[in-house]
Amino acid sequence: MRDFHYLEPRTVSEATAMLADHGEEACVFAGGTALILALRQRMMAPGVLVSLGQLEEMRAIRFDPKEGLLIGAMARHNDIARSKIVRQHYPVVAEMAGGLANPQVRNQATIGGNLCYADPSTDPPACLLALGAELTIKGQHGARRIPMDEFNVDYFTVAMEPGEILTQIRLPPPDQEVTTFYRRHLRTPAEHRPVANLALAVRNRGGAFEDVRLIVGAATPAPQLLDGVQDYLSGRSVTAEVAAEAADRAAEEMFPISDGRGDEGFRRQVVRALTRRLVAEAANLDWKETE
Amino acid sequence: MMAKNRISLEINGEAVEADVRPNRLLSDFLRDDLALTGTKRGCETGVCGACSVLVDGDVVKSCLSLAIQMNGCSLTTVEGLACDGAPSPLQKSFMECGGLQCGYCTPGFLMAASDLLARTSRPDVATIRKNLSGNLCRCTGYQGIVDAILDASEKMHGT
Ligand SMILES: Cc1cc2nc3c(=O)[nH]c(=O)nc-3n(C[C@H](O)[C@H](O)[C@H](O)COP(=O)(O)OP(=O)(O)OC[C@H]3O[C@@H](n4cnc5c(N)ncnc54)[C@H](O)[C@@H]3O)c2cc1C
Ligand code: FES
Ligand code: FES
Repeated sequence: MRDFHYLEPRTVSEATAMLADHGEEACVFAGGTALILALRQRMMAPGVLVSLGQLEEMRAIRFDPKEGLLIGAMARHNDIARSKIVRQHYPVVAEMAGGLANPQVRNQATIGGNLCYADPSTDPPACLLALGAELTIKGQHGARRIPMDEFNVDYFTVAMEPGEILTQIRLPPPDQEVTTFYRRHLRTPAEHRPVANLALAVRNRGGAFEDVRLIVGAATPAPQLLDGVQDYLSGRSVTAEVAAEAADRAAEEMFPISDGRGDEGFRRQVVRALTRRLVAEAANLDWKETE
Repeated sequence: MMAKNRISLEINGEAVEADVRPNRLLSDFLRDDLALTGTKRGCETGVCGACSVLVDGDVVKSCLSLAIQMNGCSLTTVEGLACDGAPSPLQKSFMECGGLQCGYCTPGFLMAASDLLARTSRPDVATIRKNLSGNLCRCTGYQGIVDAILDASEKMHGT
């Protein structure tokens, strides 16, 4: 690992000023779990690391009845998984955060680092997209908010400018009629990272689905909203046959990646199975009987 | 060459001050600068867990941490588990239940198990397995490790 300077700003505006001062030489440092690996492999060689470690305000998790759930970008995965507030208002998010990676990584890696690095084989993006998350990004000249739908641009690419910091993730107040489901699939139980995952949010009106959001993650370069399947499911009474048809359509509509964890064809099959199970579960069908 | 930075931390109950370069990994700092060689280096990519230590009570991988991040923190390494030179109840259970063979992975498993037992006094087998998912062992097949943690939880917290 090359040498670098390590700076510890005490406020977010001090951090953005430091990033502006050092320009291309500087890089944000959060939990370090992704960055240390990249530095050791010399994929990156920044001269200055601006650590967000001292910014306690960025670790806070709060709930506001109007704004919803506010998660600081420096909250670690286990802070989210163990938060009473998250478990109460968004149990699916607590489950997701408590099930990813492994215990040690959950204690050191932050949600903000996870989103900004945009490694495709991760869990939070698909889940947060299904919940309609909004992100707060701060730069030297102020703050802006963008919907999560606009954040993940491509493989390892997000809609942030150099010198900007992701400070907060907001989930709108939960709609009691909407249920969100999240499932991940690992190639083997000993793997840490998912080969595919799926998030589904639906309003179930007496068996008929409304306001469907279906997102596939980890199997595509960036999380992908499956519009075609959403349209197909909207307004429909879901039977086992409908779940199977939705699954076929999901496998068709997605743009899969091929890598060491699985090739394109394998990923389509995994997404097909995940979709059928999740749609059936959302309709209170026993998916094991739908074969 | 970059300047070194002064850090103050606590390791196994003792105050430590040291000058470290910002790019010093915590695992290298513990082993090579402080001669605390109980903490092992295995994969050095966050997968095997041999390098696990507790930071403010939470188990982390020291190969994915910088020493400089530890300024102001309280660390426990495997050297800090023994009570007055005698193995702790958890360490004894590992010895008695076949929780180790070659022993290379053992410090990491002991630290992951310490974190678990501090949070959950009587974990069930599923919880134990879930909490060991960041540690690899090539020898035991894991059953002895799970047995050891069950045994220790009984001895420490009663049936
Ligand atoms: C063994 C292992 C297994 C894993 N398994 C999983 C898994 O199953 N599921 C999963 O989802 N993830 C998994 N991960 C990934 C892990 O979640 C990420 O590495 C982690 O969340 C990154 O966060 P960090 O705080 O460590 O980021 P860092 O390493 O500190 O930073 C990562 C990148 O984001 C930038 N950055 C960080 N925070 C901000 C911010 N607030 N604003 C702007 N830029 C920022 C940094 O500049 C850097 O480029 C795994 C990682 C490891 C090592
Ligand atoms: S050496 Fe740190 S996880 Fe393997
Ligand atoms: S005892 Fe040999 S690796 Fe676990």
